[in-house]
Amino acid sequence: MATQFIANHNLELLLERLRTYAEVHAPVRGDDGGVRFAALTPGTLPDLAAPRTLLPPKKYLLQPRETILNYTDEAGYQLPSVISSPLILFGLHPCDLAGINYLDQVFTCDDPDPLYAARRSALILVGVSCSPDEFCSCHRSASPLKATSDLFLNVLDGGFAVTSGSPRGDELLDLANGIFEERESAIPEDMRRFFGHAVTAEVRPELDATLPEWQELADRCLGCGVCSICCPTCYCFDVLEFGGLDGRSAARVRQWDNCLFKSHGEVAGGMSFRKNRAERFRYRYRHKYHGFGALQGIPSCVGCGRCRVVCPAGLDLRPLAERLERWLP
Amino acid sequence: MRRLRLAIVGLTACSGCQLSLLNCEDELPELLKRFDFHFFPMACSPALLDDEYDAALVEGCVSMPHERELLEELRRRSGYLVALGTCAVFGGVAALRNGEDREQLRRHVYDDNQVAVETCDPQPLASVVAVDAGVTGCPPEKEELLRLLAGLIRGALPVGIDYPVCTECRMRENLCLLTERNMLCLGILTEGGCGARCPGLSVPCEGCRGPLVEANLTEALEIYAQKSFDRATVLGRLRRFCPEWQS
Repeated sequence: MATQFIANHNLELLLERLRTYAEVHAPVRGDDGGVRFAALTPGTLPDLAAPRTLLPPKKYLLQPRETILNYTDEAGYQLPSVISSPLILFGLHPCDLAGINYLDQVFTCDDPDPLYAARRSALILVGVSCSPDEFCSCHRSASPLKATSDLFLNVLDGGFAVTSGSPRGDELLDLANGIFEERESAIPEDMRRFFGHAVTAEVRPELDATLPEWQELADRCLGCGVCSICCPTCYCFDVLEFGGLDGRSAARVRQWDNCLFKSHGEVAGGMSFRKNRAERFRYRYRHKYHGFGALQGIPSCVGCGRCRVVCPAGLDLRPLAERLERWLP
Repeated sequence: MRRLRLAIVGLTACSGCQLSLLNCEDELPELLKRFDFHFFPMACSPALLDDEYDAALVEGCVSMPHERELLEELRRRSGYLVALGTCAVFGGVAALRNGEDREQLRRHVYDDNQVAVETCDPQPLASVVAVDAGVTGCPPEKEELLRLLAGLIRGALPVGIDYPVCTECRMRENLCLLTERNMLCLGILTEGGCGARCPGLSVPCEGCRGPLVEANLTEALEIYAQKSFDRATVLGRLRRFCPEWQS
């Protein structure tokens, strides 16, 4: 079949064209060796070979801490204005694309979150294929999430095969007119690993509370929260309201939360739905692999491996999931 | 709106917490509109403890008999009593040598010279009086102090923090100083809220905000041991700001 091919040495040219369309952010290796999604300045090439960034792209959609409502006595509660100029995220791995796909279902389908929706509509996604390392599990289990993007770059020898996945992707292809060459090439059948043609896990209504694994995990967990901070699909948040010094204004703030924190299951009166960490692990597992509400039955682990990389205690829910879930090959 | 009457007092400490409040220059005019800093010896004179207070904010630990009396007096006169900073909440640096013989410590510092002050093992405020809330940190963040005061206007006390320094450190997309840089960073055992101020500058967390609620010391010591930091070293570092860490 005929595909649009771009040679490696033309990548900078493509990025230059993309910058005329919108600001471009991509994985960039910092002086400290850490790879983060950041503004891609002219002359800098994205690090497309890095297995993963420190934070997933969810930071562009849900900020770690943000004001979601402003209050004054005169105007009551008001949404803050979101200025969202178009932003190209370049070099998203399929797992991160699937993560965004999941967050879209959480925040834009049922009762759309206006802040999320505004930021999401400004994002243009350019994916790239990758090879899993020892922390990745996208190739070992199935997720029904789709790794959809506006453009997708399949890594080939000496360059990339580029395919568009949306009208906006077509616009970007037009913009890069002349950089691509038509080439007859057999694209490996699915460079996005299992994403897009996955099999849903069997939904279990309940998980055995007496499994010894919950306590084993709890004994070693430090409660640091970085597993969810670095997760492309963890979206739990806490909401706090801070009054202003004038006594007549307030800001309502949303910040990333973690289901292993003490306060996560706490309610008024000092009661808690999940007093100990073992119960919280079971809850985490249920949410991550079985889903809640409208997303029940959709496992949301996209296999990026970040939680395993960052956990100071090296904890990993995957072995348990692989034992409990009847994923089909 | 009635101005809230405050007493702001320092016991055994460096006065840094009170200074942090005075450093909120941009907010001071607004603060003066909302609060009557009636008893604040560090900032206002004359300072006479002769009234009732909506809240007393107390920095430092209790290490002398007259501090105990002052603290009890403040408790009697105040609606809320808030421990301000690590020393007030946990004992802090002054409590570093608690448990050792005080006479020997005195001789170590003053030799045979006569010292007129009588001292006791430095204690956090809560071991002397009932404390309604605490704002930890050495010093606390300005933002936390302002939130405390803004809350008091509404009769609210600050919400406790149940996550460690690591949470905000990773939110800032830092590499981990402990696991990725092999440095003795105490972030995994230390209450967050500082925005990972030190690790954000590649300086390991010294644990100045005291123990994280539900801290997993056993597992943390395992991780430190894997990085060749022995138990005694880690506990010694932890106890610099909070003597309560047990071996």
